[in-house]
Amino acid sequence: MPVLRFRAERVYELLNMEPRELSEILFRLKCESEESEGYLEVEVNADRPDMFMGEGLARAVKGILGVEVGWRKPKVVDSGFKLIVEDVPTRPYIVAAVVYNVNIDSSYYLEELIQFQEKLHEGLGRRRRKAAIGLHDADKMPGRTLRYAMAPIDVMFKPLGYTKPVKAREVLERDEKGVEYGWISRSGDLHPFIFSDNEIITMPPVLNSDITKLEVGTRSIFIDVTSTDLQVAEATLNIIVSNLVERPGAYVGIVDVIAPWGGPYPRLKPKIVRLRSVDVNRVLGSSLSDVEVEELLKRMGYNVRIEGEILEIEVPPYRVDVEGVVDVAEDIAIAVGYERLNPTLWQPGMRGEYHGLTRLSRSIRLILVGLGFTEVMRLSLTSPQLLETLGLRGEALEVLNPVQVEYSVLRPAIVASLLDLLTGNKHSPKPVKVFEIGPIVARVEGGVVEDERLGLAVMDDEVSYEDIQAPVYYMLRALGVNFTVRPATTPYTINGRTGEVVVGGVKLGILGEVKPEVLEKLKLEYPVAVAEISLGKLLESLKEY
Amino acid sequence: MLGVDKSSLASLIMLLRDRGVVRVIEEVRVLCRLTSRGLEALSRGLPEEVLIEYLSSKGGVAGLADVAEALGDYASVALGQARRRGLIVVQGGSVRLVQDPVVARSVIRPLRGALESCSKLGSVEPGLLRELRERGLVEEVKERELVVELVEDPRSLLGRVRVEASRLTSRMLQDGSWRMYRFRAYNVEAEPPRVRAARLHFLQEFIEVIRDVMKELGFKEVRGPIVELELFNFDMLFQAQDHPAREIHDSLWVKAEPLDVTRLYSGLVERVAKVHESGWRYKWSPAIASRLMLRSQTTAVSARTLTLKPRPPIRFFTLGRVYRHDVVDASHLPEFHQLDGIEGDHGYTFRDLLGTLKEICGRLGLEVKFKPGYFPFTEPSVEGYVRLPNGRWLELFGAGLFRPEVLEMAGVDYPVGAWGFGIERLAAAYYGIPDIRILYTYDVEYIREFRVKV
Repeated sequence: MPVLRFRAERVYELLNMEPRELSEILFRLKCESEESEGYLEVEVNADRPDMFMGEGLARAVKGILGVEVGWRKPKVVDSGFKLIVEDVPTRPYIVAAVVYNVNIDSSYYLEELIQFQEKLHEGLGRRRRKAAIGLHDADKMPGRTLRYAMAPIDVMFKPLGYTKPVKAREVLERDEKGVEYGWISRSGDLHPFIFSDNEIITMPPVLNSDITKLEVGTRSIFIDVTSTDLQVAEATLNIIVSNLVERPGAYVGIVDVIAPWGGPYPRLKPKIVRLRSVDVNRVLGSSLSDVEVEELLKRMGYNVRIEGEILEIEVPPYRVDVEGVVDVAEDIAIAVGYERLNPTLWQPGMRGEYHGLTRLSRSIRLILVGLGFTEVMRLSLTSPQLLETLGLRGEALEVLNPVQVEYSVLRPAIVASLLDLLTGNKHSPKPVKVFEIGPIVARVEGGVVEDERLGLAVMDDEVSYEDIQAPVYYMLRALGVNFTVRPATTPYTINGRTGEVVVGGVKLGILGEVKPEVLEKLKLEYPVAVAEISLGKLLESLKEY
Repeated sequence: MLGVDKSSLASLIMLLRDRGVVRVIEEVRVLCRLTSRGLEALSRGLPEEVLIEYLSSKGGVAGLADVAEALGDYASVALGQARRRGLIVVQGGSVRLVQDPVVARSVIRPLRGALESCSKLGSVEPGLLRELRERGLVEEVKERELVVELVEDPRSLLGRVRVEASRLTSRMLQDGSWRMYRFRAYNVEAEPPRVRAARLHFLQEFIEVIRDVMKELGFKEVRGPIVELELFNFDMLFQAQDHPAREIHDSLWVKAEPLDVTRLYSGLVERVAKVHESGWRYKWSPAIASRLMLRSQTTAVSARTLTLKPRPPIRFFTLGRVYRHDVVDASHLPEFHQLDGIEGDHGYTFRDLLGTLKEICGRLGLEVKFKPGYFPFTEPSVEGYVRLPNGRWLELFGAGLFRPEVLEMAGVDYPVGAWGFGIERLAAAYYGIPDIRILYTYDVEYIREFRVKV
């Protein structure tokens, strides 16, 4: 969940509220907040990018408190800017708008604008792949006619923060942002640019030029959004414009986007959702009237018109997450307050049931504790080195992107985990008798298999086959299993001291004394006997019985 | 009187004598005892007595053969003894009484008296005793008798004498000798020797408690694979294929051949493609959905369950391991347990979901607070915070009603609520364990010594 940092005094100024009160309201609006060193740190859910800025936050808070309800279209004028869109196959869409009188009056506000832009890039923009935003000082724009086109990367421009112009190619190859984002829309030696009177003002989605740099003192902002998806571009623009126009005295300037799909932007057109209050009540389990629904929705920034039975709901353009009934229903629930929703106890009168493996495991655990075995728990992720020592590496399924090598493969046998555990118990009082029930994953011909396994281990000054055989036999007999044991081999147990448990012709598991070579490699200075039983197969055999 | 066998008593008496508690005086008495022949003579009569009575009944004379027949084994002894005393004469094959029967009886009487006296352990004249002995009617028996005498006044002795035993044994109970002993007091304040018991794992026990709560509420447990298709882990949960959450930074993928979802789940795949393409406006790729990963949420199991189109009302839960791309530290593990629950029916509502969540938390002893939330696959969504024993609130679960898109992909036509939470964080908070890694400790002694929480 994105964490936003706002200058605390700015927020309290916008809202005229105590911190504790604000924190409670934000909680109701899906946000967890905490004040730290003069900043308000707010966790905002990814579905509310409109709240990624102080003004957006304030708008939501004022709404739910009933201070400012509904949505009003801002004042709109023609900005006089034209944006000619040429063929940019790797990033075809671009929309733009101007907001006048934004007034960047402090470094805190500028900081917040940049944070806003970055968070939008991350989420909606899918790390700039889907959408990228350019913010420019409108008054520094070289000319009123802009052009969006592919151009060779040998073209020169002065990127933000550079002291002199460089080739775009250099930016792509040397600059941090160039390396991170340059590959997204590049096509051979061409890359998209926005020109204003033949000067490059931005290279989307990489970085802006220095010419139109934003700074404290900037009054009006020109916004461009380039994208691979027109709807996402429009939505992003709407969110940004809606937040910037919240500034006192601000208003919108239309940009004429000249393209086959183009037109005047921003298109601050509310989406219409038509529903009946009964639809909402069906979702929530509430019994709200039309009038109540209207009142609650207005607090969430919607406009509502009641037409007979139908409620015509205007979704404000900055709410890109609202599609239909369920989204509207959630907003109504938020406006009511989740703590006031009065949970109902649904009692369908059904009979609960454990999975067969759960029932089997519970029986086994009690038997084994009675035999003196202590239960342990280990991760199924393990190290390739351990498996190599046991001769089990070949059967192991590997993780493609592990974080640590100690957890880069899955155990194909639970005995591996037990032997690993024993290495940490050399100095425990003897005998050490342990068991674990858990999953294994193994590679077999044709794919991957999973199984629930029981593993047992006995470690002592002297250990013999009987020390593992006796408890296993007892347990199987207590469960009523009709089994036989025949000689077998495993890579880690002594040949001649290894048995295979068979039930109805199916191999159920193994038992045996661990090879001294293996014990030595593990630096276990005590002999160990182990057993491993497939609970999946055991359960099957018990069912047939 | 004491009900004790002689040998135990004897050794006890010797013990007391050695301790100077009693004096023991040994007396040896010689007693005579009737042999079996003597006993026979006592009841049947001495052989010569029987002869005299027989002859007397025959008028004082009888044939030798008849006497032999009538007296049987007594015959020869009777004839010999009677003749010795001059009571009979044997002549020409017949036996004749030569004394008057009354006189004859009075001659035998002393010996008879001696026999009777012997049988009553009375005293016997030495001559007669000798005769009884010679005739094998009595034997001498030496009897040893111990007379035990307390040395001092009993009351003062009882104060000092201790025959202590430490352990009450089975032998003492069997032979009653426990009565002779005093069982010395133990220092009940001292520590006993350590016992080492085997134990169940405290985290697994916690997991089973959660299973119990779900079962008691009427949920049916289901299980699903750890190695999971992206189809169920992401696509069915309406997570767009180009969403950052699906990148390598959060989840773990495995080195295995992707399956072919279009072949394995053809109907489902068609619905998924349709919903994704109209919802997210991109070309949905079955190849991406076919990739195998380690499931990052148990909601994948819930998704699988829904595709089976179970008949409502439904209540399912699953509890299993999930995997994340996380570095191991005090509050993160790359692998942990998650609970996922789903329930639904025609007419099921958001308030019903809140009710179930409150009930589950209540049965775990936790107060819950709801907060609006966001998840790609639910709307309305809710986050649950629970209050820990130390008073702090812990963000525990995410929940919500499945989005219509999810239900459409599953092919389900009734509302379904879903929730999930991580087990380890809650277990650590519940047990007051500050570092989540301790839940998977190597240390067997730690598990054995873990304090039980009732």
